[in-house]
Amino acid sequence: MRKYLFQRIIYMLITLFIIVTATFFLMKMMPGSPFNNLGGKMTDEQRVLLEAKYGLDQPLPVQYFKYMTGMVQGDFGVSFQYNNRPVTDIILDRIGPSAHLGAQALIIGSILGVILGMIAAIKHNTWIDYGSNIIAVLGISIPSFVFAGLLQYYLAVKLQLFPVSFWEGPIYTVLPTIALMIFPMAICARFMRTEMLEVLGSDYIELARAKGVKNSSIMFRHAMRNALIPVVTVLGPMTVSLMTGTLVIEQIFAIPGIGEQFVLSISTSDYPVIMGTTILFAVLFVVVILIVDLLYGLIDPRIRLQGGKN
Amino acid sequence: METILDVKNLHVTFDTYGGSVQAVRGVNFSLKKGETLAIVGESGSGKSVTTKALMGLVAKPSGRIPQGEILFNGKDLVQLSDKEMQKVRGKEMSMIFQDPMTSLNPTMKIGKQIMEGLILHQKLSKQAATKRALELLELVGIPEPQKRINQYPHQFSGGMRQRVVIAIALACNPQVLIADEPTTALDVTIQAQIIELMKDIQAKMGTSIIFITHDLGVVANIADRVAVMYAGKIVEVGTVDEVFYNPKHPYTWGLLGSMPTVDSADEKLVAIPGTPPDLIHPPKGDAFAARNEYALAVDFEEEPPLFKVSDTHYAATWLLHEDAPKIEPPQAVKRRMKGIAAEGREQS
Repeated sequence: MRKYLFQRIIYMLITLFIIVTATFFLMKMMPGSPFNNLGGKMTDEQRVLLEAKYGLDQPLPVQYFKYMTGMVQGDFGVSFQYNNRPVTDIILDRIGPSAHLGAQALIIGSILGVILGMIAAIKHNTWIDYGSNIIAVLGISIPSFVFAGLLQYYLAVKLQLFPVSFWEGPIYTVLPTIALMIFPMAICARFMRTEMLEVLGSDYIELARAKGVKNSSIMFRHAMRNALIPVVTVLGPMTVSLMTGTLVIEQIFAIPGIGEQFVLSISTSDYPVIMGTTILFAVLFVVVILIVDLLYGLIDPRIRLQGGKN
Repeated sequence: METILDVKNLHVTFDTYGGSVQAVRGVNFSLKKGETLAIVGESGSGKSVTTKALMGLVAKPSGRIPQGEILFNGKDLVQLSDKEMQKVRGKEMSMIFQDPMTSLNPTMKIGKQIMEGLILHQKLSKQAATKRALELLELVGIPEPQKRINQYPHQFSGGMRQRVVIAIALACNPQVLIADEPTTALDVTIQAQIIELMKDIQAKMGTSIIFITHDLGVVANIADRVAVMYAGKIVEVGTVDEVFYNPKHPYTWGLLGSMPTVDSADEKLVAIPGTPPDLIHPPKGDAFAARNEYALAVDFEEEPPLFKVSDTHYAATWLLHEDAPKIEPPQAVKRRMKGIAAEGREQS
C-alpha cells in the first residue's frame, strides 16, 4: 500500500509538471499583455520599465525557468493587477467560498442522486421510475446557469425565500448549491439506476433472497455497495465539472470565489494568477482521482491492494 | 417414512408481452424425509421454475402461481405472505444455485454471508454465529476455516465457492435442500467431490434433497427417485432403478439414448428430433407427441394421464394404455440405460 501510494504520488507530480509547462506556454501564446490596455495613459518608456520589472522582457525559456524555480520553492509570484499582492494570498482569500460551495454541492448531489437512482430501480417501470428518469435527463441536459436564473427569479425574487445573491451566511449558500448540484445528482441517479437493476437481477441477490433476507436488507446490505462501484468512477470527472461549473455560478450569485477571480485574471492577462489558479485546479484534480482510486478499494475487495505484493 | 413436501397440481405462469408462458402446467410430486428426488429434463422444461415456486422466488409481478398447492409439513406455502415466506426460506428450506462464480456477494466476506441467515433465523449472537459458521466451513470441507472466514469470494476457487454456497444453505439445518444444477458449472473432478459432500451431509443430517440436473450419471449416483419433466409436466416418475432399467415414456428413452457412456464411445448418440413446444400456446394432447416417433393418433388429441406401472412408478404416455401396441425401447437406449446406471453407481 505504501509503495503504491508513493508510486502514485510520483506520477501525480509528473502530471502536474506537464500541466504547468503546457499552461505556461499556452498562456504566453495568448494575444495581449498585462500592460498594453490602459487606454494610452502609459508611455512606451513606462511600459518597458514595467515589463523589465516583472521580467517580461526576457526570453520565454528564461521566464519559464524562473517561474518553475520559484514555484518549487512555494513562490507563485505577485499579481500584476492587485498592487503586487502575492498570488498565494489572493487564492487563499478566494478559495473558501468556492470549496464550501463545491463540496456542499458534490456531497448533497451525489447522495440525493444515489437515493433517487435506487428508488427508481426498486420501483422499476412505475411512474416513480419514469419521473426520476425525467429529472435525470433534465438535470444532465440543462446547464446550471439556467437553473440558477430560474431559482433566483422564482425562489428569491418572487417568493423571497432566499437572498438573490452574495455570500454572507448559510442561507446564501442554498440557491447556488441547488443550481450546482443538479448535474452531479442527475449523473449519479442515472448510473445508480442502471447498476441497481443489473445487481438486483444477479445470482447473489437471488441467493440472499433464498436465505430469507428481508427486502430492505437486500437493498442496503447486498445491492447498494455493489451498485456503487461504477458510480464512484464518475465522481472524478464530476468533481472537475463542478470546479468549472462554479466559475459560472459564482458570477451569477456574486460569490467572491476563485472562479470569479480566475475569469478576471484571464481577461487582464494577469499571468501569475492564471498560473496559480491552474496549478490549484490541477492539484485538486489529481488528488480527486487518487481519492477515487482509493475509494474503489474500500468498496470493492476485488481491487483492494495486498500489502507487499505488486 | 413421513412425507415432508407434497406438491399438488402446481401451475406457474409468466406474463410477457408475447402472452402468458405456462412454464409449469400441473406438477405433482412428493418428497419424503431423508430422500433425494432428482428432477431431470431439458432446458426450459420447467424444472428450475418448479423449485423457484417452492422457495417462493418466482419473480413478481410477471410470474404467478394461478393454481396448485405446495404442502410443506401440511402448510400451504402458496398461501403464505412474502413476510411469512421469508421465515421459511433459508430456515426450513434452502437452495444451492448453479453457478458458484456468481452466486456469492463479491463485496461481502464469506463469513458474514454464512452468518446472515443464522443471525436472522436462529437469533444467534455474533459470537455464536461465528462459531457455527466455522463449524459449517469445516463440515463442507474448507481447510483453515479460521482464515477463510474473513476472506472474500474472489479468493476462493469455483469448487470452494460451491462449498461455501452449500454451507450457507445448510446454516439453519433446513429440512429440505433444493440443489439447482449445483455441479453444472464445475469441472468433472470437482463435480464428484461436491456430489460426495452432499451425500455425506444428507447421511449426517437427514436432509431431504431435490436435485435438479440434466446429467443422468449424477442422478444414478445421488438420487433415490427420479422425476422426468417435459414442457412443464412430469412425464415419468419412479425410483432410479425403475426409470433407468424400465423406462416407459418415449421422452425418457430419448434422454437415456442421448447420454454417452464409456462403452458406447463408438456408437452414434441418438438425438431427440425437433424442439420443445411453445408454452405460450401449449399443443393439444401430449406436448411431446410432435417429437415422438412412437406417437399414437390419440397423442395429438388428448393428454395422457399418469399410468401406474408400479406403486412408485408412473408414466404419462398412451403407450401404457391396455389397448396400445406393445412397444419396446430401442436397443441403443437399452444398452445405455445399463451403462449409465452402472457408471453412476461406480462413482459412489
